[in-house]
Amino acid sequence: MEAVFTSKLKTLLDAVAEKFLLYVSSKNEDHYIYNKYDQSGKRSVEFNAIRPCAPLKEFLFPVRELAATYPKELKADDIKPFAVFGLKECDLRSIEILDKVFADEDFKDQFYIKRRENMFIISSDCSEPGETCFCNLFGGQGFPQMGFDLNVSKIRDGFIIESGSQNGNDFLINHSQLFGDVPDTLLSERDGNRAALQNQLEQNNQKLKIDAEFKEIVENAQNSEVFDAEAANCIECQACTRICPTCHCFYLYDTTQQDYFAKMKMWDSCMRFGYASMAGGANPRKVLGDRMKHRLLHKFVYFLERYGVNMCVGCGRCIDTDIGGVDLREILKKLNEEDTKTKTVK
Amino acid sequence: MNKNLYQPINGRIVDIIDESPLIKSFVVVPDEEFSFKTGQFVELTLPGEGEAPFTPSSSPADEEKMEITIMKAGRVTGLLHQCDKGQKVGIRGPYGNGYPVDDFTGKEVYIIGGGVGLAPIRSLFLTLVDRIKDFKSVTCRFGAKTQDDFIYKNTLFGSWQKIDGVEIKLSVDQASNGWDGNVGVVTTILDPSDVDIKNTVAIVCGPPIMMKYVTFKLLEFNFEPKDIYLSMEKNMSCGFGKCGHCMLGKYYVCKDGPVFTYEQIKDYPKIWE
Repeated sequence: MEAVFTSKLKTLLDAVAEKFLLYVSSKNEDHYIYNKYDQSGKRSVEFNAIRPCAPLKEFLFPVRELAATYPKELKADDIKPFAVFGLKECDLRSIEILDKVFADEDFKDQFYIKRRENMFIISSDCSEPGETCFCNLFGGQGFPQMGFDLNVSKIRDGFIIESGSQNGNDFLINHSQLFGDVPDTLLSERDGNRAALQNQLEQNNQKLKIDAEFKEIVENAQNSEVFDAEAANCIECQACTRICPTCHCFYLYDTTQQDYFAKMKMWDSCMRFGYASMAGGANPRKVLGDRMKHRLLHKFVYFLERYGVNMCVGCGRCIDTDIGGVDLREILKKLNEEDTKTKTVK
Repeated sequence: MNKNLYQPINGRIVDIIDESPLIKSFVVVPDEEFSFKTGQFVELTLPGEGEAPFTPSSSPADEEKMEITIMKAGRVTGLLHQCDKGQKVGIRGPYGNGYPVDDFTGKEVYIIGGGVGLAPIRSLFLTLVDRIKDFKSVTCRFGAKTQDDFIYKNTLFGSWQKIDGVEIKLSVDQASNGWDGNVGVVTTILDPSDVDIKNTVAIVCGPPIMMKYVTFKLLEFNFEPKDIYLSMEKNMSCGFGKCGHCMLGKYYVCKDGPVFTYEQIKDYPKIWE
């Protein structure tokens, strides 16, 4: 593992952009989104303090993509190497989760895998947690330790860049003339920042700490009225699932093009009324509260049972985006209170 | 690894059989080698229009072609019903677990079906009949709205009834055309003396409401939940447990099913909806 120092982010990004089509986080009003990197410097690149508002999944599992064409067969060959800068630890953990679905099973999605193989990942430490960040409740800490090619930590006078893969290592070695050494004092500064960050996360989410396992409280909530009550504030915009970096439901549909037929794959949402409905009209989750319950059961019970990990990284995007004010942290807290009460009564 | 999961293989419809006013069977010949286990399903694509999941109704032993029996129930099935012989189709699959036929060896098999639910059952039935000596008996109880609504009428009212080791009883909700059999929902022809319950597996396939009441009846007869095999129908789309539409509790019906024992799913809410 290599670690180098640069005083300017642009030095790193320019070097990456020589080799890859590079996407970087850039500020858009009060949040960050991904844009293509502009080497001319017209659009300023800022080190994003927290995760971009857009989920990383859009690079691996686009909003809409061609899944198959026929009679002539579609191949995943035209996926070119690309790099993404600006993703955080929660995003890296979301990739682990998506890998389980699209790459780690008996049915492998070759488009996902091809993009995954072609993605050069430049993650970075969070500077300070956002209001809705609760990654520490899901095993997060705000700075990456694995799963990246390069990781960037911001310190007072510049940036420490660390490699986390062979590709990352090779990159730093090949560009060694661009970067300086990292003295121990800078590493200590970074470690100090990281410790402060962890403290801040702990403090921010202190009152949300739940002693029980999330699996247990959600599983015990099958008959809870919390879901219907929360659903009263939900406007069914489905943004919570679309912006979620781990939600991966999709919808397949067929289209006719000029000289071929296509099967398309598009993000879908379990919060949508017709999501589970069948020809003839049967629908096991007609009630919005039932759909909300299913979303939580999937995230904290079913996915965990199947893959051994929660389908949530605590990034808080669903809370940021929720127009009706539905707050996953609050739901979990309420379910826990209910569960504790039931157990006490027993 | 190079196989695209979403890519259908090409095939075409070579024959269409009218089964009932709302149901047709399509004989499909795939362009490539294609095989399935009884009870598995395929995604049948009408190019440019859409795809839908169906369990083939023919015997897996027929490797040249497969039959798919389709009730007109929605957009894609409506369009399929308008197709003529020669229509090109796409086929993805086979998906799911199918019926664990080997586990039925030495047992009595009690098959209860309703309406278009006879489609997967026909495939199973033909599979069982091929090796009928492996099973103690095959006892069938089938229901339909009226006599006209039964599918596979020719064989159902004829040759199937004459197979050694097979016993079939039918019921209709409404009598017509000189029907002289039982009138009533299919549960009215179920009787604990039909089979030796301790050594029997029950196979149920039909509309959800029928599966629900048949399951409850079988439980009344003291069937163990693990001996009741249900063909669950949910909104199967991708076929390999990724897209999420067919989730039934922790299960993906498309991958872990579509055949489940009642034991596996009994504790989940709203399984019959």
